[in-house]
Amino acid sequence: MSFSFDASMHLGNFRYEAAFAADSELVVLFGHSGAGKSVTLQLFAGLMRPERGHIQLNGRVLTDTTARIHVRPPERHVGYVVQELALFPHMDVRQNIAFALDDRRGAAARKRVDGLLELLDLEGYGARMPRSLSGGQRQRVALARALAAATEILLLDEPFSALDESLREGLRGELLRLRRELGLPVLFVTHDLREAHLLADRLAIFDEGKLLQFGLRDDVFRRPASPRVATLTGVANLIPGRVLEAREGRLLLECAGMRLWCGPQPDAGCFRAGQAVVAAIRAELVNFTRHGEDHEFNHLQARVAEDLSYGAVHTIRLEATGRGPDLRAEIAARPHSVLGIKPGSVWTIELPPEDVHVMAAEANAS
Amino acid sequence: MISGRIAGRTTVALLVFAFALFYVLPFAGLVERAAEDGRTFELMKSDVALDALRLSLITSTVATVLAILLGTPVAHIIARRQFRGRSLANALIDLPIILPPTVAGVALLTAFGRRGLVGEPIEDLLGITFGFTTTAVVMAQLLVAGPFYVRAAIAGFESVSPDYERVASTLGAGEWRTFREVLLPLARSNLLAGIVLCWTRAMGELGATLLFAGNLRGETQTMPLAILQAFESRDLGLPGAIALSLMLITVALVILVALRLVTHRSAYEL
Repeated sequence: MSFSFDASMHLGNFRYEAAFAADSELVVLFGHSGAGKSVTLQLFAGLMRPERGHIQLNGRVLTDTTARIHVRPPERHVGYVVQELALFPHMDVRQNIAFALDDRRGAAARKRVDGLLELLDLEGYGARMPRSLSGGQRQRVALARALAAATEILLLDEPFSALDESLREGLRGELLRLRRELGLPVLFVTHDLREAHLLADRLAIFDEGKLLQFGLRDDVFRRPASPRVATLTGVANLIPGRVLEAREGRLLLECAGMRLWCGPQPDAGCFRAGQAVVAAIRAELVNFTRHGEDHEFNHLQARVAEDLSYGAVHTIRLEATGRGPDLRAEIAARPHSVLGIKPGSVWTIELPPEDVHVMAAEANAS
Repeated sequence: MISGRIAGRTTVALLVFAFALFYVLPFAGLVERAAEDGRTFELMKSDVALDALRLSLITSTVATVLAILLGTPVAHIIARRQFRGRSLANALIDLPIILPPTVAGVALLTAFGRRGLVGEPIEDLLGITFGFTTTAVVMAQLLVAGPFYVRAAIAGFESVSPDYERVASTLGAGEWRTFREVLLPLARSNLLAGIVLCWTRAMGELGATLLFAGNLRGETQTMPLAILQAFESRDLGLPGAIALSLMLITVALVILVALRLVTHRSAYEL
């Protein structure tokens, strides 16, 4: 099972552009609303036509603008679930699921629907009308319906976002189980970073109509391709700086008067001395040391300017007392209390070289 | 505070009572006069009355069916597609609703009359004339009453989220199946309400029919026309008009209640 997607078109004020491919993996399309995630699903389902594009699913060409191919939605074999679910309110659960089958009355259809009801834990609900189901049950009916025909890919457009957090937790687990059992590729749209991290094999980061980065989840989270991607994926510290030295895949930067060694960078060869760059470090990777020796490199003195407790986690704003940048740090409640972090206290802060990721400064970034 | 609330409620009650009185009294008067007049039942059984009733039922039903056939695709396009001139088309649909029916009658004459825009060439080529025929009655009713159905159908289709149709299409349903099995049932209440409006409006049509179709008994004389004629004639007069009116009200009420029952039964909560 595999697919490839490549499309571009004008979309309101901006231009939509995305190209990516994957096997039977769960690809999370992540971005703010209006970033082009839902458009991607609609293009895949054939509900929109791109100006230019080529979409392929398991070797079948679904869209090819140069060959003037546009397979209509009913023949695409995609399982499309929208946020509002769109369960047909005038049909019971069984009829909703069977809607996708060619022969809806025969014994084979009955067996197929029974199988799907069992797969999604809906046994005994076949005769219920959608309005009499709970939010989680409706969700599962929508999934069962999307899987009913010879579905070759699941396209899920924020399917859980209308539900309570407790319900979403369970359904995410359910989705992961389904994916393992069915081995289907899944495109999953969300604007929830935690959900994206939990579900994604691969991540596609969208912004203003463009696919900014596509890759394995951890690669995208650890090595964002641009400061914009870093911001979107929740990197709290983006520190502008300048390359002092580039040798053997390692970079030495100068940031806000501080010298910063960076661990091996996959694209270190692209950087030269003097170049303007941005160093990214996630808030949870900023280290507090009690009696840390202040080396020349990667250490700075900073005062706790703000300490917000979210229960399990504290987010802390740090102001450099000497050289070095101001930072945001995140620390679990336990080490926070063991260390005795208080507003106003001064700490030696370490930025581990292996956790610093370097990107070229964007042309329009200041 | 409390006395203010009582005064407010009393005012509302009085207004409601006045409204109800105004709507009930004319019909009470009608029934009272009809009961008083010994000839009422006889008049109802007269050929004039029965001809007019039959013609009214047939023409308004045909006009309604035509409105459904011609109006449903138009309503679907206006509700679902974006195109140049969409708001103009939307406004034009309302035109017959806001114009006096006599204007519609004049307009029909200028288009389909013997000297009309298309009426003349059609008569020359095919020898068919529309004016002063039963066809003309249906055309007049269609023009005046059809927009009520189209307007309701547009509202009905717009009330259904396009998500239903999009999901249905990815589930393998073609456009016709999606329309029949998803959109139509979901818009059903609105469509039925539109049918009722259109049909009752067609039953009551007078002005356009009078101008375009004339007042020929058995051919173009519908109930409203027969009532008008009875009222103006010397031998029947008001008692005739009363008898015919009572017939029209009874038939319309029976059909309305029947349709309302069907509509009500189909209205499931979403």
